[in-house]
Amino acid sequence: MTPLLEIKNLQVRFKIYEGELKVLNGVDMVIGEGEKVGLVGETGCGKTTTVKSVLRVLPTPPARISGGEILYRGKDILKMKPAQIRSLRKGEMSAIFQDPLAALNPVFTVGHQLYDVIKYSSASRGRKRLSKKEIRARSIAVLKETGMPDSERILSNYPIQLSGGMRQRVCISEALSASARLLMADEPTTNLDVTIQAQILRQLSELVAKKKSSILLISHSLGVVRNLTERVYIMYAGNMVEVARTKDLFADPLHPYTKALLKSVPKLTGEGISRGIRGRIPNYLNPPAGCRFHPRCDHMMPICEKERPAFFTGGDSDNHKVACFLCRR
Amino acid sequence: MSEEILTVENLKKYFVTKQGTVRAVDKVSFSVKQGETCGLVGESGSGKTTIAHTLVGIYEPTEGRALFKGQNISKVFNQRPKALKKEIRIVFQDPGSSLNPRRSIKQILELPLKVHRICNDSDRVERVMELLRMVELPPEDYMYKSPQVIGGGEKQMVAIARALAPNPSFLVLDEPTSALDVSVQAKIINLLMQLQQNLNLTYLFITHDLSLMRNITNRVVIMYLGKISEVAPTVEFFQNPFHPYTKMLLSSIPTVSDEEENFKPKEVISRGEIASPVNVPSGCSFHLRCPQKMEICSRADPTVVEVEADHLVRCHLFSDGRKPT
Repeated sequence: MTPLLEIKNLQVRFKIYEGELKVLNGVDMVIGEGEKVGLVGETGCGKTTTVKSVLRVLPTPPARISGGEILYRGKDILKMKPAQIRSLRKGEMSAIFQDPLAALNPVFTVGHQLYDVIKYSSASRGRKRLSKKEIRARSIAVLKETGMPDSERILSNYPIQLSGGMRQRVCISEALSASARLLMADEPTTNLDVTIQAQILRQLSELVAKKKSSILLISHSLGVVRNLTERVYIMYAGNMVEVARTKDLFADPLHPYTKALLKSVPKLTGEGISRGIRGRIPNYLNPPAGCRFHPRCDHMMPICEKERPAFFTGGDSDNHKVACFLCRR
Repeated sequence: MSEEILTVENLKKYFVTKQGTVRAVDKVSFSVKQGETCGLVGESGSGKTTIAHTLVGIYEPTEGRALFKGQNISKVFNQRPKALKKEIRIVFQDPGSSLNPRRSIKQILELPLKVHRICNDSDRVERVMELLRMVELPPEDYMYKSPQVIGGGEKQMVAIARALAPNPSFLVLDEPTSALDVSVQAKIINLLMQLQQNLNLTYLFITHDLSLMRNITNRVVIMYLGKISEVAPTVEFFQNPFHPYTKMLLSSIPTVSDEEENFKPKEVISRGEIASPVNVPSGCSFHLRCPQKMEICSRADPTVVEVEADHLVRCHLFSDGRKPT
């Protein structure tokens, strides 16, 4: 599979009054053409920062990308000119964010916002400008694709008049209207009820399959990622700690953090609830040296405090990589 | 175990708005037994929180009543005797907004002690420290901190400590962990279960997370649009769900293992959205989304039937009290 997006050793820091927050500490990630990739981690581990760096929408300052490369089809996004990035955002990558009410403009109707998106993205491909009628027809078509009932009426509604699930459908249709090659969905269903979540995820995966786009699904819910993706990255405190095919990861998690996280999830089969993970996510002003998970880890060894573990191959498959000294052979 | 500590009878709470009457809770009856954890589950807008708020006296019921240890508690907060307020306490969903950011944790925990005259002035600090130790927060580190500077999980621990301050016997937990990460959730749930055993508490646990419910409750009450759709003992409920809505809920849960996947009802695909409580559909309020809709469903509202012992369902499929074949 040819890589569509490759993140190499990405480092992002935030300047605040007290000093510098060392948030992303060398993130590596590959997303193949047409691949469905998941990214899981707890609140504050740098998931959204990663996405925002890729889209180049991180506010700089306070943020500073202090190292690494983000290659989109071999070209470094971090070195692109603003015009090049804009054209990328038009037809190549798009994002869906967690809170649709914050992502949509409250003073314009859904139709107005979709109109802008479609007009803007269609202008980039050097084609003839679409007429108002054509844009309206396309707006209705993209809304219908997401399973929106009564999509013609929705066009004249304001976001506040819609329910949470419908707002998220509007965001998805905006993101997919440009037939993006890479869709980054940042916790798209966190604010929704389970029944609506199931619907949105089903439609999202159908649409992505139809358009042959790649998707990066970010979530703190392991269950959501398991049902939709082929490969999963587990992130902790600005580092990738484990990557594997979804099936392998859930069958045989290797990193102590992944294991603890999986155990914390309440199971339908009713096995009771584990004790969780002691301590909490580190302060990024002075993150722990070596492996950032070592203060909370039950298998801490002397080396963990000194050295940052590289990716070791673990498990049965070569694609299963773990950043933990326990897996060093 | 068998003694009923709380009984809710035909509870109704309507809100009159410009757009029409919101039927937030519509004729709900259930009971909670001494020492158990009763789960109240439903989507947003199903009236779970309205019930919680009515029980602690934030709202006055429009109709019906709630009995706590035989005493009628359908009164608003300022009409309740202090002894009652001491018995029933609530933990809210968002600890960020339920703790006063201008007070230190010590001040927050002292207030209920002062109001209910739990201990005299000299013992109060000792009691605050005891409460903090009870929720596994070292008092030396946390007493003088503001809630703003601690993490979400720790804030919720403080909120729990505050609820426990006057030695209550009944705790309403309104989605206490839904804003938190799973690892933190696990910690808080463990703590709650431990406290329940040590202090002999009864919980009404409100959540939308059915997997969580599976692991901690004795009985579940499923709500849809202000009405009850199913009540059952937890184990029985998960093995043998009756109502089409609960089947839809169960089949929508994202799971992390194949064993769990096999546990879910397969045939139901989620569709539609919860209707507006201003404009409740005629007949059974679920009929617009129901995969097993019959002609009668859009006309008549089903009544609650006991299909098996302790297993109640409100659905026309079970109207004669038997399972359809």
